[in-house]
Amino acid sequence: MTEKRKIGFPRMADYNYALKYLIEKGLEQQYVMQPSMTQKTLDIGSRYSPDTVCTPFKTTLGSMIEALESGADTLTMIYGPCRLGYYGELQEQILRDLGYEFEMINLAAYDTGKKKDFLKAVKRANPKVNLAKLAVAGAEAMQMTEYIDDVTSHYYKNCGFEQEKGAYKKAKERFLSDMNAARSRHEIEDGYRQVKERFRSIPLDKKEYPLRVGIIGEYYTTMDAFSNLEIEQKLADMKVEVHRWMNVSHRNIHYGGEKNLKVRIQDLCEYEMGPTASANIWCARDYAERGFDGLIHIKSAGCAPEIDVMPVLQNISKDYKIPVLYLTYDTQTSDTGLMTRVEAFYDMLLMRKKVIG
Amino acid sequence: MSGDFYQYISYTDLLRNRKKVLRIKKTERNIVIGIPRALHYERYHVLWHGFWEDLGVKVITSPETNRQIMENGMKLAIDETCLSLKIFIGHVNLLLGTCDYIMIPRICNLGKRRDMCTRFYALYDLCRNVFRDSPQKFITYNLDMINGNDEEQAMTGMALSLGFTKSEAHKAYKKAKKKDVEAWKNKRKEQEARYKSNQTGILLAGHSYVIEDAYIGRPITEALKKLGVTVIRGDISDISNALKQSEKLSPTMRWEINREIVGNVYENKDHVDGLILLSVFPCAPDSMTNEMIVHKIKDVPILNLVLDGQSGVAGVETRLESFVDILNFKGGRL
Repeated sequence: MTEKRKIGFPRMADYNYALKYLIEKGLEQQYVMQPSMTQKTLDIGSRYSPDTVCTPFKTTLGSMIEALESGADTLTMIYGPCRLGYYGELQEQILRDLGYEFEMINLAAYDTGKKKDFLKAVKRANPKVNLAKLAVAGAEAMQMTEYIDDVTSHYYKNCGFEQEKGAYKKAKERFLSDMNAARSRHEIEDGYRQVKERFRSIPLDKKEYPLRVGIIGEYYTTMDAFSNLEIEQKLADMKVEVHRWMNVSHRNIHYGGEKNLKVRIQDLCEYEMGPTASANIWCARDYAERGFDGLIHIKSAGCAPEIDVMPVLQNISKDYKIPVLYLTYDTQTSDTGLMTRVEAFYDMLLMRKKVIG
Repeated sequence: MSGDFYQYISYTDLLRNRKKVLRIKKTERNIVIGIPRALHYERYHVLWHGFWEDLGVKVITSPETNRQIMENGMKLAIDETCLSLKIFIGHVNLLLGTCDYIMIPRICNLGKRRDMCTRFYALYDLCRNVFRDSPQKFITYNLDMINGNDEEQAMTGMALSLGFTKSEAHKAYKKAKKKDVEAWKNKRKEQEARYKSNQTGILLAGHSYVIEDAYIGRPITEALKKLGVTVIRGDISDISNALKQSEKLSPTMRWEINREIVGNVYENKDHVDGLILLSVFPCAPDSMTNEMIVHKIKDVPILNLVLDGQSGVAGVETRLESFVDILNFKGGRL
């Protein structure tokens, strides 16, 4: 038997477990899980990145370095319609100039307009790939992604109201370690069923109308708890019901394109303004119409598409009289500074709720 | 039919009453279109002016960028946007109320891996939202080749929505496009003459809307000329060749304008003494492509110049002077 590749990918929220499943079950290669990101990851990434690039470039570069240092010999990178489309090549160049040795499977290089070309990328990862197996593992990994999103969404909506401190966190961590260890569809389903049962058994102390805050914004920074300094947890700890539409299941697996999301926001934007713009504008209006108490717009410093969405959000804020807190994350953003702003926002929402009813 | 006809029907009715309207002579259509002199104006102005003027539409443009326009734009735009967009918004602000429609095209891509920055995707809707409280109307065309909207279709579609006939619109487009191609050829001829100059040659790699901007970019070319340098523009090239060249330097680069510039730089780096990477703060594509150029091109001196609209000219001039001194020293001219 030939030696297996050790494939690494930057950390991204909790989705690495699904990726691990896909690579180990579908591609039958080894996946290298680097440690979770810390300030050091960001420091090391930003040291070697261009100054004005968006922050996810820096965090993912740092995470790639950590993957290589954890033993990966192959890195892979996804692509997207914004600057993300160029991440892979520039990161590879930077890492090579630093002296790291690895093989790079940059999916952007296979994005030629023909779907068939992606097979080449798969064949490079494993020339003897069993496509039937890959398809099954792909479907199962997708299922796991949906479960992770479902659990995360349920978690942030309720964890602030638990009576016994830490019960939700424990259940979620148990679930994630189950997903990390899952080797079959059966185990994935089991883990999900168990976490749902545990969640259900946690007694809640939730009033009828708790504060509800919607999180919208840039793809990576909203989803990745390290990158947004755990803002959702911070809000939940203040007894806020935190909603977030943006996740991989909604944006990638079930995203019907901009077509049908645009119907309700036609007056605000006629065309797609950026990769996640229609989704965010639709989501902001949806939250506003459902009577949320506030919105938080999250983006990394210099994220052009999200900056361009801001004038539209300002209009939504005016139309529906809903407060919006705009947060920009760069490598300097500190926990304390963020906390001050979030606390002030929370106090304002609470006072407003008391006055308005 | 007299001009009064326009008094009581709205322009959306125009579409419905196209047949009636069309009996009027072209010259009698007193529509005024405003075009902001920023961003893609430099690249497309021959085409736009040619197109509208052939249709008998009056075109007005905003004046060249000055301090006032830039500052107005800075006030109206979100703080974190790039300087070029702030300037654009300043120009749009100036045109408000002076014309029937302000034309803000949505230019997305010219094909696979020929995208524009996402900012151009948003431009039209962004301006509509920034100036929502003003009664000003905007008009756009959507150039999105990946989804099958080519330039001719998009621009003629825009004319149709104003009540022109298909044949009129297509004729105007073809005429304008011819002029546009001709103008580009002339620009390239001028460019080739510059390579033959005996002076120190610097390739200025930057977007045309930065280099040509009267307030932020042109002072730099002027300053370089004063220092006895021939400025060769990175944004003027044989486009199809430049795109091919850019793939050699960076195969997955996806931005049309950056690929044109990078291809041009890659091809001509040996024919110049130095390279200036000119960008505005914080330009999204440039932040990455300039880094790539610095990583890949090691044998030509490079100056990375980022304009933020705050610094006075003096600071930039000092940097240019010392860079030119280095080049002259290296070339044995000092």
